Amino acid sequence: MATAEIQLEAPSTKNLPTTGSESRAYWMLRVRRMNTMTSHAFRAMRVQLMSITFASVVMWVGLYILFQQGFQFIHSGLIHDGMRTQFVHAIFNVFFLALTVMLMFSSAIIMYGNLFKTEEVKFLLTTPSRPERIVVHKFHEAVFFSCWGFVLLGSPMLIAYGDTALSPWYYYLLLIPFMLAFVLIPAGIGAIGCLLVVRLLPTVRLHALVILVGLVIATGLYFGWHVLAYQNRDLMTMNWFQDVLARLEYSEQRLLPSWWLSTGLLEAAHPSQSTTGRPAWLESFYFLAVLASNALLLLLVLAAVANRCFRSSFSELQGITRTKRNNRISWIDRTVAFFCRPLPPTLRMFVIKDLRLFRRDPMQWSQFAIFTSLLLLYFFNVRRFDYAGTLEQWVTVISFLNVAVVGLILSTFTTRFIFPMISLEGRRFWVLGTAPIKRDLVLWGKFWFACVGTIPPCSMLVLASDISLKIATRLPFVAAIHQVTCWMLCIGLAAMAVGFGARLPNLREPSPSKIAAGFGGTLNLVLSALYIIAVVLLTAVPCFFWTETTWLSKIEPNGSLIFGGTIGLGTPGAVIIGFSLMLVLAATATIVPLRIGIRAFRRLEF
Amino acid sequence: MIDIKQATRKYGTKTAVDQLDLQIPRGELFACLGHNGAGKTTTIKMMVGLLQPTAGSIEIAGFDIVTATRDASLHVGYVPDEPYLYDKLSGREFLQFVADMYGLPLDVAAANIEKQIVDFGLGGFVDQLAESYSHGMKQRLVFASALLHDPELLIVDEPMVGLDPRSMRLVKDLLKKRVRRGGTVFMSTHTLAVAEEIADRIGVMSQGKIQFLGTVAELREQLSSDESLEQMFLTLTEEEPANFVS
Repeated sequence: MATAEIQLEAPSTKNLPTTGSESRAYWMLRVRRMNTMTSHAFRAMRVQLMSITFASVVMWVGLYILFQQGFQFIHSGLIHDGMRTQFVHAIFNVFFLALTVMLMFSSAIIMYGNLFKTEEVKFLLTTPSRPERIVVHKFHEAVFFSCWGFVLLGSPMLIAYGDTALSPWYYYLLLIPFMLAFVLIPAGIGAIGCLLVVRLLPTVRLHALVILVGLVIATGLYFGWHVLAYQNRDLMTMNWFQDVLARLEYSEQRLLPSWWLSTGLLEAAHPSQSTTGRPAWLESFYFLAVLASNALLLLLVLAAVANRCFRSSFSELQGITRTKRNNRISWIDRTVAFFCRPLPPTLRMFVIKDLRLFRRDPMQWSQFAIFTSLLLLYFFNVRRFDYAGTLEQWVTVISFLNVAVVGLILSTFTTRFIFPMISLEGRRFWVLGTAPIKRDLVLWGKFWFACVGTIPPCSMLVLASDISLKIATRLPFVAAIHQVTCWMLCIGLAAMAVGFGARLPNLREPSPSKIAAGFGGTLNLVLSALYIIAVVLLTAVPCFFWTETTWLSKIEPNGSLIFGGTIGLGTPGAVIIGFSLMLVLAATATIVPLRIGIRAFRRLEF
Repeated sequence: MIDIKQATRKYGTKTAVDQLDLQIPRGELFACLGHNGAGKTTTIKMMVGLLQPTAGSIEIAGFDIVTATRDASLHVGYVPDEPYLYDKLSGREFLQFVADMYGLPLDVAAANIEKQIVDFGLGGFVDQLAESYSHGMKQRLVFASALLHDPELLIVDEPMVGLDPRSMRLVKDLLKKRVRRGGTVFMSTHTLAVAEEIADRIGVMSQGKIQFLGTVAELREQLSSDESLEQMFLTLTEEEPANFVS
């Protein structure tokens, strides 16, 4: 043994860091990382930054105009001030209650990933850092990631309402503290729930979460159906108004943070209508205080729960054995293999391999499933939004808009999940590169996988829209055009994602989300959006004018939309030309990116 | 310095560490050997507080690792097999953060950071972002961060993986120097030559238990063998060298 010349400090003389110094250290960590990322974004990602800023501004302004028009509509429909405020209160209650539920779940899910699946936490747990400090540190991240959408959606709505209601200046000033205090409550509940589920039910955490999410979705669907299943067309009458308020009553529980938020904001927005006799700003401030104190209390509870159980939960979670994979080929693989029989065996193997990776990553299929479910819900309820019977007149336009929506959702999916696949494959190229296969097959495999995976659900969504809008029965020709357009969208978007993914790969980055967020991903998303717009316009415009001049003129003889007919767009010839041009565009958008991608992939050095 | 009593750790039904008893005094360089899945990394993770023993206890510098985790971690420097660095921090910023975590006063932190930069030759890249570092650079930075608070116990999991000969020499010298200063080193390794060269004692783990504990000379004596440590290790863990050459 080595001669011990004791020079190291004796154990007892070392002191633990104070709460203040620990807090400062985490604060500095965040500031430094933020500074680095901001300066990097300004230096190396200007195009992307500008695109994101531009898209956010356009979206914000669009939402603002939409909400302002909506509030103006309510303003003109409901003359009585009290009735109008009551109605807006009910809408705010529902909106914020829905947000409460969504924020709870999103923060719980993000917290689970942040706390139990990251290397950073493993590192922090080996330092003398307090467990509650680690949890709060990750909680701040979760709040940020789960709440930016709330700010982007909520702020234009609330500002538009303030403008419509001619609210005083302090209404706008109070928006920020109100939103901040509010988001901390559902996020805090979600975070506490996450810690407790992992602590108390570590082995059944996934099942518990699935059951809970299922219950919430079922409840949401029930209430959604309850509210939307309203057939009365006498909009803006007293009966309608009372009926709507009665249906939204469930969101007016006084113990709900959403109620505190909506009440506090409306008190500030309408100083002349204070119900208590106290000044409106004071009443509003009172609700802000209720929100803030509850938020702070939840933070304390979170810290206490973290202190008691985070370290042991982390340890216990590591001890759970993984389920062994069954060696048999699953029925999904067998089904896909059956439908892919026309493809060469090697190509089929690639499609099945990518499908396995896809379905074993819940992050991927869950997002796709959520979007698909939401779109289905919307499509099946689209007729319920009929106002004063105007739906029939616009049914063709709405049906094509629905195709475009499916395409846009699909483009985010192909950019997020298909585009990074080539870059990720680069990391495994030691196995593909040394196998006796042609490189092109790798790309073709991705392309077919994307097509096989996207055409059936997208086609089903478009069919659901057409059934709901009664296009499938009354205008089967248009429904057929929708289907072909949808397939062309799927094929074109798949080819673009695969082609550009191979042409602009990022072989060093292991995270698919970061690959998708890079220059190549952004370019793919922008080009995909342009492609969707072009494809839908080429088929939608002549179809709309054709149906207007033929079918719609029979059911709506007083319709005034005759412009298209006068310039020759309402003829079958125009429909055929538009459809043919769409096919040519789709072929170009499929062949060109794939050729570019294949050439680049052949030359690529891993 | 390390006092492990009947420590057991289970992963579901699998027992990764089985009633482990191990005491390592101050000033010793201990090498833990064993095949993949023998329980070395689990033992280390228990010693640094990442995992809690299912049964038994572990004390570091007199502090129980479950009930006084933070106090214990003040006395430990840990170099994991797959270290984590913040990509968007420079090496210097990372060292500053670690110094803050261990509650070092500003002047002490500044002096220690400069010392580590010199000792580990980080000067050429310490102000670059960690995302641009090679494996060797990362490993040197992680060693520097583990020693920043001058811990009495250094726990190192597979320190030689991916290092070039010069870096390996640096690490071996560093570990020996720590021990000369009265520090304790617990090292898990597959590199038997390194263990043979620098360890005061070795422990051979298999199936979660210590199969042998002592010096290399004692192992030779026990097995009545003049063979290399590699051959003795294989004999002890009842593994035959795989016949890769047909």
